[in-house]
Amino acid sequence: MRHPRALFLLGLLLLAAGTLAAQQPAAHPVTKNEVLIKNGTILTITHGTIPNGSIYIKDGKIAAVGQTVEAPPTAKVIDATGKFVMPGIIDSHSHLALDNDVNEATSPIVPHMRMEDAFHYTDKAVYRALAGGVTTSLLLHGSANMIGGQALVMKHKYGLDREQMLFPGAPPSIKFASGENPKRVYGSRQQMPSTRMGNFAVQRQALEDARDYMQQWSAYEAKAKAGDKDAKAPKRDLKLEALADILRGKFLVQIHCYRADEFLTEMAMAREFGYKVRAFHHALEVYKVADKVAAEGVGMATFADWWGFKHEAYDAIPWNAVMSMRKGVRVAIKSDSDDFARRLNQEAAKAVRYGGATEDEALRMITLNAAWVVGVDDRVGSLDVGKDADLAIWNHHPLSNYALVDQVLIDGEVFFDRSLPGYGMPHYKEGQ
Amino acid sequence: VKDNRVIGRSANRVIGAALVALMCLSASAFAQKSKPTAKPEPARAIVLRGGKLMTISHGTIENGTLVMENGKITAVGAAASVKVPKNARVIDVTGMTVYPGLIDSETHLGLTEISLDTTTNDLEETSDAIMPHMHVYDAFHAESDLIPVTRMNGVTNAIVAPATRDTLPGQDAFVQLAGKSSDEMLLVRDIAMPLNFTGAQRRNESFQTAKFPQTRMGMAAQLRQAFIDAQDYAQKLADYEKKAADWEKEKKGDKPSPPKRDLKLEALLPYLEGKRPVVLAAEEPSDLKVALGLAAEFKLKVILNHVSHSQILLDEIAATRLPVIVGPIYETPKDDERYDSVFKLPAELVRRGVKIAFASYDEHNVRNLPYQAGYAVAYGLSREEAMKAMTLNPAEIWGVADQLGSLDVGKTANVVVADGDPMEVRTDVKRVFIAGHEVPMESRQTRLRDQYSK
Repeated sequence: MRHPRALFLLGLLLLAAGTLAAQQPAAHPVTKNEVLIKNGTILTITHGTIPNGSIYIKDGKIAAVGQTVEAPPTAKVIDATGKFVMPGIIDSHSHLALDNDVNEATSPIVPHMRMEDAFHYTDKAVYRALAGGVTTSLLLHGSANMIGGQALVMKHKYGLDREQMLFPGAPPSIKFASGENPKRVYGSRQQMPSTRMGNFAVQRQALEDARDYMQQWSAYEAKAKAGDKDAKAPKRDLKLEALADILRGKFLVQIHCYRADEFLTEMAMAREFGYKVRAFHHALEVYKVADKVAAEGVGMATFADWWGFKHEAYDAIPWNAVMSMRKGVRVAIKSDSDDFARRLNQEAAKAVRYGGATEDEALRMITLNAAWVVGVDDRVGSLDVGKDADLAIWNHHPLSNYALVDQVLIDGEVFFDRSLPGYGMPHYKEGQ
Repeated sequence: VKDNRVIGRSANRVIGAALVALMCLSASAFAQKSKPTAKPEPARAIVLRGGKLMTISHGTIENGTLVMENGKITAVGAAASVKVPKNARVIDVTGMTVYPGLIDSETHLGLTEISLDTTTNDLEETSDAIMPHMHVYDAFHAESDLIPVTRMNGVTNAIVAPATRDTLPGQDAFVQLAGKSSDEMLLVRDIAMPLNFTGAQRRNESFQTAKFPQTRMGMAAQLRQAFIDAQDYAQKLADYEKKAADWEKEKKGDKPSPPKRDLKLEALLPYLEGKRPVVLAAEEPSDLKVALGLAAEFKLKVILNHVSHSQILLDEIAATRLPVIVGPIYETPKDDERYDSVFKLPAELVRRGVKIAFASYDEHNVRNLPYQAGYAVAYGLSREEAMKAMTLNPAEIWGVADQLGSLDVGKTANVVVADGDPMEVRTDVKRVFIAGHEVPMESRQTRLRDQYSK
């Protein structure tokens, strides 16, 4: 019985893959409805708090924000009296909806892996984070590899199709990792790398190979351009292609990195090969070298207070985020966890507690700064005219432990409403 | 071969010398570290004056005063009515909130330092699933860097349990998170025994590497056998005692010899006799039913643990009148559960009259215990019940309510002063007193902060 059933399943999978491949990325459903959110405390992130303020949303974008806004009487009204409106939370380090496909741990260099190919878009974890006010997540490759795969930027439009959940136009990111994880994974198999020396040697060699590959192509292109009919194109290699794209600056480079010395090494290597590091992730020791990280314009996506789970996390301190911010580093607080993704507001509150961030500064760590890490800060992360209408309405101030999300809107549409029965999702029905 | 042997021997000697040197080093490091963390105060009384006192047992006193003497609370009341002893150290806590030290009902403090570094871990003995003769007090590391980090946020007492891979991983200790040595910190050595029945104890489900027990059936059978063996052992002991008593009367024939001592079976006896509770951990309804059935079969005294996915059994749980250590409420719901089904559990249990206690089930971030309680409040639990579930309720559940869990005269002076609501993340804990001593607000983490703030 097992055998025919497996074949049947395989057939189904192939069918599904065929359908996906044939499908053109559909434009997200345009919201004709206009929405007016009124009488709420508006936490704009970029221009302060507006008591008794309103937001007018048109075609999925924020059309007006202020004490009073003009909106046509036909707009659907959401009364936010006594409530707090803040931009949707951006989780700048997530592995939601990737199941066990998160880590291609068979080689330390796998830049040609694409998280889009692993995207399990019906994962309920996407919904549970949505119910915690998260509207955008950066889905990253795991940390077994010095150079891992290409990230995916997701909007938490749970219940819609796979293509409709991708953040349109988001820039591509690629994941690097350093330190204990790669050396443990490969070292345990008697492979290189098994030390930090090995880690960086493998990374440097890969980048040298990319340079070589680029030279082969430019030599060929020059010959072809000069009319050399015998010029032979080099073999196209997806792995080297992706590495070359790093050197061409086509990726935001997101580096999993814990230790102070390794931030310095990674930044030196980026200078040597001419690419930019977008952000250090986990980044638990940035407080030790924050001026250097700030000078390089590198951001960080960190845990609020996790520590001690391994050696390179033993010097982690909860003041890291604020100490680094005060030195000029752009700081985001992220989840790296299906659990913490549901309550990133409470993690941000720890920046107030440890180091005395202002409420705006703390909220920025899970909104605008996180959006910058992902490269979508011109689109989301604050309540400003022209931005996507991705926002959450809370029953208390979101930095309070007693705060719950009442409603979440993405592109102006309600995707979560706590008052609804069942799952609280207008776009999702059980069995879908 | 000969040469090798010589080299081998001298190498051994070198290693031996190095080991001795290392041991000396660590001994001196130990001596340095084991200096009293809480400075012994002289007999002078400490008075906290003008704060908002959350007594837990008898309401909140706005503008209250609390007096500590010789490690105990000696007065609690309205500032106007409490007499300040002569020569007391008076601390003005106007605008502050004062509450009893928090009690975490399951942690692994003192059993691990760095999770991935096995040399720092004494979390559990995984060679067998039935290990009731493992005692946390044999491994508890009083000088762990995790302890100051924890107590600085107002957690003053904790259950320390082994990790949960074994069905019976050993016996819990109840600790105080300050003291000169582990002796002073281990308040109750074998306070209870975890009985884990969550499925995490299955010995590898893969057919290639599986060991017994691989299924829930196997776990149940193994547990039942362990308790039956212990009953037989108890019978043997009783038979021997009777024979020995008879022999003492007439001294005829050979003196009967006692049965061979079996520490594993012996460790189960207090639980079979109902002298101490088992902490019965189960999440799914089916696990909970099987485990409760076993507990009834052997007449075990039970404290329930987790019940995270047993929403359909809440009325039944309430009917047992057993206390529940609930959570962690951060446990992810099942896919067919609403997002808030576990967050709401504490409120749902209390609504049915169940006595609950919170636990972090953590080691490095035990300090975040009060935030879990706060989040349960967001999902319907009253603030009073949430505070009780970290103070008086666990004190009652663990049998230490005569000493801990509320601001009452005669109790141990474990007292916390904070600048706001204890369950809000933004609140800063300002002072912590454990057994009447003010604990320095210092940890490995504050030292790193200060070093790199210069």
